Amino acid sequence: MSAPHRLWECTLMTLIDAPTDTVASVHSRTAWTRVWNVARLHLVDRRTYIGIPWLIVGIAFVITVFIAQIIGFTTGGLGTADAIEGQRYSWAVLSPQWYLIVVGVQAISFGFPLALGFGVTRRDFYLGTALMFVLIAAVNAIAFTVLTQLEQVTNGWWLDSYMFNALWFGLNGWPVDLLSFFVVQLLVFFVGAFIATIYMRWRMLGMVIFWSALALTIVGTVMLITFTSSWPAVGTWISAQGIAGIFAWLFVPAFLAAGGGFLALRRATPKN
Amino acid sequence: MNLTDTNTAVRVDGLTKKFGSFTAIDDVSFTIERNKIYGLLGRNGAGKTTLMQLLTGQQFATRGTLEVFGASPVENARVLQQICFIKESQKYPDSFRIEHVLASAPWFFANWDADFAQRLAVDFRLPLTRAIKKLSRGQLSAVGVIVGLASRAPLTYFDEPYLGLDAVARQIFYDRLLEDYVEHPRTVVLSTHLIDEVSNLLEHVLVIDDGRILMDQDAEALRGSASNVVGKKTDVDFFVAGRDIISRDGLGGLASVTVAGLSEAERAGARAAGLELSPVSLQQLIVARTTSTSAG
Amino acid sequence: MGPLIDNGKPIFLQISEQIENDIIDGAIEEETSVPSTNEFAAFHRINPATAGKGVNRLVENGILYKRRGIGMFVATGARQRLVGARTEQFRASFVGPLLDEAAKLGITPEQVADMITDASITDREASAS
Repeated sequence: MSAPHRLWECTLMTLIDAPTDTVASVHSRTAWTRVWNVARLHLVDRRTYIGIPWLIVGIAFVITVFIAQIIGFTTGGLGTADAIEGQRYSWAVLSPQWYLIVVGVQAISFGFPLALGFGVTRRDFYLGTALMFVLIAAVNAIAFTVLTQLEQVTNGWWLDSYMFNALWFGLNGWPVDLLSFFVVQLLVFFVGAFIATIYMRWRMLGMVIFWSALALTIVGTVMLITFTSSWPAVGTWISAQGIAGIFAWLFVPAFLAAGGGFLALRRATPKN
Repeated sequence: MNLTDTNTAVRVDGLTKKFGSFTAIDDVSFTIERNKIYGLLGRNGAGKTTLMQLLTGQQFATRGTLEVFGASPVENARVLQQICFIKESQKYPDSFRIEHVLASAPWFFANWDADFAQRLAVDFRLPLTRAIKKLSRGQLSAVGVIVGLASRAPLTYFDEPYLGLDAVARQIFYDRLLEDYVEHPRTVVLSTHLIDEVSNLLEHVLVIDDGRILMDQDAEALRGSASNVVGKKTDVDFFVAGRDIISRDGLGGLASVTVAGLSEAERAGARAAGLELSPVSLQQLIVARTTSTSAG
Repeated sequence: MGPLIDNGKPIFLQISEQIENDIIDGAIEEETSVPSTNEFAAFHRINPATAGKGVNRLVENGILYKRRGIGMFVATGARQRLVGARTEQFRASFVGPLLDEAAKLGITPEQVADMITDASITDREASAS
């Protein structure tokens, strides 16, 4: 049987639930069902992807409001343009990401052995995990975009306190916010997961090589740019992209991390 | 994809696995038939777990062919959905609770019986809402056992799932396994070093030692294949001369020698010579064979 | 029916013999049912295939027969056949060696017969008192 023919048969068998024997066989699930089941598996404990991140956002919000009130009290008023501008420098809006990058790592470090234990193929596992990342990133992006708009409309939650309109959010309209929240979230998940897949496949040695290579690449690039006096050119190029452009470009590392993770995991084995 | 062998669950031919220079599985060949209970026996480090990881696509073979239900299990969802591999080192996410395991298992095992799982949880006295990482060794093993039993997967591997289970819990496991196997026949492979406890449950025995298959036999046949000859040293030596000697033991002028294969006539002859014949348990037999290969 | 003993005899044979003993004793009457293979397996905690082997041995020897959809039953005349077979075994396992041992010690068969008669009288007296 030729390879393409075998591939076609395999695809058919996978998609068309066709058991090849009638003796104590299980009903074979379609590829889509299997991938979706992996996504569900990550979410079976709702605290990890939903409960804790939003708890962190909630706490960061309360802290932001308190601090804003204190500052307002001591400086005599939050309603000024300066005060609003000042609050823009807080990183509170990104507070859940420090937790979520760990979640991205654990999606692989815990999820992979669990999925293998449940008889899931590496391909289905990675696709299901990626699907879950994209869905959560989309939901979070929509939520944060809405919250940013709400914050503007209510003039800082009727307290002149701004958490979501910070950094680059809330400057260029909600479509840009949506795009940037989405890609940041994707990047956090896929980069965390990618690092974990390196460990899964090549363990300690892989980690050492990866981080060394990364450090060398960064330092090397900086050196290159410095020696060719290209910093001004870099600066010009970045400004030319605009906020939307920068974040659109960030899809590239996100895809690379996603693709790299898939390739690394294909021959990974669970720890003994 | 081979559809002709409907009695064979697993077919292995020349399977080898090397980790660097260390050969964990060395040119192994055997067949596992459907709907029988197999024992995969051997010492620690003999290769039981590695072999099962190869059979379930969790590890990649260096060489050889491996077919499960007619196809390679590696990255093959159709085959893998029919397998349940319970290993004692199964890791769960830190925050996972037992109820999460039992809630998600049915998504991956199409034959899952939730009522059966609930009844087993009661039998093993498991606190469903406790976090996995807070469970005792025995409770963790019980979780694995429950998943393995309730999955009703056509091919189920239990890799030393009894670690930490007390004698009562182990007996519950054996009883439930046998009951369920009788009602819903499936292929079961039990790996263990507690040979005597499970020996009556086994229909077929595979013994692995140093990565090689040492024995591949029907359990009843294996049990009947050896006897202990006990008596005065001179008498025993005379009787066992020229026979396949499995192990020797002695105290002063007495000797106890395990020999392979005695017919009824030979047994009668031994008794007539004043020698005593005592039974050899499966564990004794396997221990003797595996010890002798490492010594010799 | 009792527990299995680890005496080196194949388990399926022990199952067979236990059923045979029960038939000879009269504990299981002819044309009544015996437990199923699965029930034997569960009771003795052994593999059903092993239990099945023991049961099948009796089917092959005509001691048990299968009634479709109902189960295994003791065949008519089974007890007689078993007693006959056991008597033959008795002769081979006991009588033969008995006479051999007697010959070794210089005891004649007539003396052995006398010993047996004496022993049975003593036995009867003991059970009567």
